Amino acid sequence: MTTTAPKLGEPVTTDRGAQVKKFLTTAGPLIAFIALAIFFTVASPTFSTPGNLSILLTQLSILLVIGIGLTFVILLGSIDLSVEGVMASSSLVFVLLATNDRNDFQFGFFAVIAGILTGSLFGLINGVLHVRLGIPSFMVTLGTGAIGIGVATVLFGGRAPRLLDDTLRFWGVGSTFGISNLVFIAILVLAIAFVVQRFTRVGRYGYAIGGDEAIAKLSGINIRKYKISAFVVSGTASGIAGVMAAMQLGVGDTTIGGGMLFTAITAVVLGGTLLVGGRGGVIQTLIGVGIIVVLANGLILIGVDPYIQTAVQGVVIVIAVIASGWSLRRRVRVIK
Amino acid sequence: MSDTTTLAAPKPRVAVDWKGRLVSALPLIGLVLLVIVVTINQPNFLALGSVRGLLESMAPILLLALGQTFVILTGGIDLSFAATASFGTVLLALWLPNLGMLGLVAVLATMTLIGFVNGFVIAKTQIPSFIATLGALGLYSGLGLAISGASNIRISQGYEAIGWITDLRIAGLPLSAILVVLIAVVIAVAMKVLARGKSFHAIGLAEQAVLMSGGSTVRIRILAFTLCGLFSGLAAVMLAASQRSGGPTLADTLQLPAIAAVVIGGTAITGGVGGAMKTVIGALIIVVLRVGLSAIGVPPSFEQIVYGAVIIAAVVLTIDRSRLGVVK
Amino acid sequence: MSVPVLEVKNLTKTFKNVVALDNITFEVRKHEVVGLIGENGAGKSTLLKILSGIYQPDSGEVLRNGVKTVFRGPQDSAKAGIGMVHQEQSLVTSVSVAENILLGSETDAVRAGFFNWGKLNAKAQKQLDKIQSPISPKEKVENLSFAQRQMVELAKALGVEEFSKEAPVIVLDEPSSVLEGEELEVLFTQIERLRQFASVIFVSHRLDEVLRVSDRVYVLKDGKSVAERNPDTADVDELHRLMVGRESSAEFYHEDEQLAVDGAPVVLKVDGLRKNNAFSDVSFEVRKGEVLGIAGVQGSGREELTRVIFGAEPFDGGSITLDGKKVRFSSPVGAVSAGFGYIPAERRIEGIAQGLSVQDNIFLADPSPVSVGPFLLPAKARTVASEWITRLRIRTPDRNANVANLSGGNQQKVVLAKWLNSPRLRVLILDHPTRGLDVGAKEDVYTFVRQLCSQGISIILLADTLEETIALSHSIFVMRDGQIQRRFDASPGNKPKPVDLVEQMV
Repeated sequence: MTTTAPKLGEPVTTDRGAQVKKFLTTAGPLIAFIALAIFFTVASPTFSTPGNLSILLTQLSILLVIGIGLTFVILLGSIDLSVEGVMASSSLVFVLLATNDRNDFQFGFFAVIAGILTGSLFGLINGVLHVRLGIPSFMVTLGTGAIGIGVATVLFGGRAPRLLDDTLRFWGVGSTFGISNLVFIAILVLAIAFVVQRFTRVGRYGYAIGGDEAIAKLSGINIRKYKISAFVVSGTASGIAGVMAAMQLGVGDTTIGGGMLFTAITAVVLGGTLLVGGRGGVIQTLIGVGIIVVLANGLILIGVDPYIQTAVQGVVIVIAVIASGWSLRRRVRVIK
Repeated sequence: MSDTTTLAAPKPRVAVDWKGRLVSALPLIGLVLLVIVVTINQPNFLALGSVRGLLESMAPILLLALGQTFVILTGGIDLSFAATASFGTVLLALWLPNLGMLGLVAVLATMTLIGFVNGFVIAKTQIPSFIATLGALGLYSGLGLAISGASNIRISQGYEAIGWITDLRIAGLPLSAILVVLIAVVIAVAMKVLARGKSFHAIGLAEQAVLMSGGSTVRIRILAFTLCGLFSGLAAVMLAASQRSGGPTLADTLQLPAIAAVVIGGTAITGGVGGAMKTVIGALIIVVLRVGLSAIGVPPSFEQIVYGAVIIAAVVLTIDRSRLGVVK
Repeated sequence: MSVPVLEVKNLTKTFKNVVALDNITFEVRKHEVVGLIGENGAGKSTLLKILSGIYQPDSGEVLRNGVKTVFRGPQDSAKAGIGMVHQEQSLVTSVSVAENILLGSETDAVRAGFFNWGKLNAKAQKQLDKIQSPISPKEKVENLSFAQRQMVELAKALGVEEFSKEAPVIVLDEPSSVLEGEELEVLFTQIERLRQFASVIFVSHRLDEVLRVSDRVYVLKDGKSVAERNPDTADVDELHRLMVGRESSAEFYHEDEQLAVDGAPVVLKVDGLRKNNAFSDVSFEVRKGEVLGIAGVQGSGREELTRVIFGAEPFDGGSITLDGKKVRFSSPVGAVSAGFGYIPAERRIEGIAQGLSVQDNIFLADPSPVSVGPFLLPAKARTVASEWITRLRIRTPDRNANVANLSGGNQQKVVLAKWLNSPRLRVLILDHPTRGLDVGAKEDVYTFVRQLCSQGISIILLADTLEETIALSHSIFVMRDGQIQRRFDASPGNKPKPVDLVEQMV
């Protein structure tokens, strides 16, 4: 207990150490991002060129969309490992329904919607299986992720179908005002996600459920509904990401999301969203994605093997999770 | 002291848990049915050649699955076990030519150490196993890709140290499969015969009670992951032997079938229930399923869908919801 | 005379074989503060849980403003205008004050699924204004001190006023246990303020506070309301006596089997032990074959103390010495090796390993008596397990039955067998060992305690009732708010009375 009784109106920070820790957790990621940006600007002549910055932003877009979806699920204290499978299925559904070199469908924009809704459907399945059958989220999404790759494999049929719709391809490869169109899509998704997070029950109750599910339940909140909603958001985001990737690459492919799950989770955790749930958000994820992308891009520019990067990312994510959970350790505690 | 209440009353009877027993027998029943269905469709399924091929493909999957069984029994998961095995094949390809048998030992020791580090981190820092092993997955797959230059490496020399695994036959059946099943039997026996043999089950079922009875849950957890690492190493040896090369993604496609084998065999994802012999049955189901699917004309591209669906179904049947509390 | 705002008539609630509430009747009037006092197990928390809709009574009625009401859940209770401030913190720390105050009941602050923060904050402010709290509704709860969070909980409880047009009844369950000094004064001021527009039920183990704040006080004992007093005229000694004192024979506790331990060597010595925010300055000794009883209400620090001794929690100062050697355990693993045993209050989670058999449970702490090296001796294990089942009269279909299917009393006996089976056992800690047990099982436990003592095992006892503590122990100390208040000698023939203990506890 504090020795000096605080005035009842002022928030209390008990000591210097806690104050520093608080500052680091909120501002830390942003500081890290700025520091990295400065470092690579100095370390590599090509880093801050308009060409490279444009590449950076493009790389950021798809990862950001995935990260945004994951954030909603992680805020609950759960996880979604089905990202790559959902992206694969969505990309194939999208390409096969738009103008392509395999069939005669030409649904244009509705193909985009279909691709996105594929993601939403996977999200719904994830949510329902997790909530109604009580299966831990890592297991459900591992399974549905496999199903997603499987569905994509079936649709793939041995050769990647190519996207021939020029308007849709333009969204993927073209740019407006010198910035890739994908970036605008990502910004739009971010804006919508922020509104959902800040102003809707899906967002606010997600924080409450992640913060303390028992208390949220006692307050009469329909836990099931909001948990399922978070998974639907994540699935939809993966769907959008799959469509974006297809537009960029011009094909639908089972490996279209390769490696993105891992990077996205790292980004979310680095940005400051806690795996135990209740804390963090999409803006934090934006910064986390920024850190990852700058790091990846910069390291390649100074000649670091990209595979070493993956290895380092693996270590970094573990350290980040350990650091954020350090104070929660207890002698008699069960974490599986 | 009055004994009247206890001596006079009959022993309490507990109803036979029919549902539990049925679910427990389901994998074996399923396997038998599967074999019957496949044989009907493909009469030479039970011929020696076909069985041989089946068992050969089962061996590495079973090894990985056995390692994962230890971890899942404790209630955790090791998502890095296949990537670690791939990494192991790369190390074998690099170390066997120069070190021969010593190289083999070194690789197994390294894999065991990797498992130990996973377990140590998870047990001491109290972070969820799925995220810790997700990180390990990135680390070892990245290292494997970097060291190998993202390509397979043929084992030019020193192959004799491991070649015998693939080449030898006993009664026409591949030595590899027989060895692995033997290992599974040893594990099952050990769990029955050792005083602390049920430790993994115990912490899967009642971790706080074990700790509050003086059992070191930290040590048991570390042991589970260490064994998983060792078995990833053994799987690496087997894969490298059959392919005569090592590659950074050689074992990756086995991740899903191996987890499926554990779960389908009847080991509950919540932990506490299951074992080595159950996993053997699960692995058999997986490989028969593969053959069976193509026998009834399901294209191989559907395999993933089937694995995913079967995993979810098996988990649903074996999960013990009463112990879960808040599910995340 | 106006209708009471809340009335409880002939309320009864039984759990398995424990009667928690026994035909209890009491009432709360308008603009009144009613105090509830009683020792552990008197029924206070069960009563509050029924009032807040978490439990349903087996019989009897609850009347709100004279109208019979049934609460099927916490929502019903809130809609009836009963707001509870729980003993445990029930705020979601990751979101703001306003969100917590209105969690689940935002009503028109959320339109078409969208949060109107202006309206939400204003609604929360309205509740905060009722207690004139300067806390901002936008503040994140994790940034607030315990005292401030208490105020937010109070504001949240007051929110029930928006649902029912009647004056609310606010229930405060041990609100002062986390407060000190100036914070306490603020709490009392708030309660005074509440009286103007609400009624209050104030539950606390601190008798002086209850008497200070309440208009009337009810004394609960064994699930009954045994007395109603006016604080101005109440005699504290009489209140103590009313809280305790039940009939029980010395034979029930096998007092005649209690042996003297005066000359025995000291086995365990605790010196100046301190755990921040739990207890401080705790020193005592336990001799071989002695039973040390620790009395105290919940929050007195006695539970934390025993967990610290067993290594389940760390401590911040002082020392523990076993057989002359200083020990510091980093987990129960070390404690058990050194010879400690623990029979926990949370039997189902920490005592028995559910899912394992009775036999496996018996050898959970130490399989060495039935193994050679790392190998189990199955025949010996069978025999020894059967012996324990017979000796402790454990009722089970057989030794391989799932221990989860046994009754509570028999499960407890399995836990006992587990520790008795361990040859290393020197000090056994019993935490509420007879909770939920029927009379026969209780008597068995008392017998085994006597036997353990005669075998030279020392026992630290946290009993459910004062009578148990007094009858079983050789010496007792009472804890209150983290400190030892007073020590008692309880050797046979020299036992203190329950009233002596209660005086120190409240």
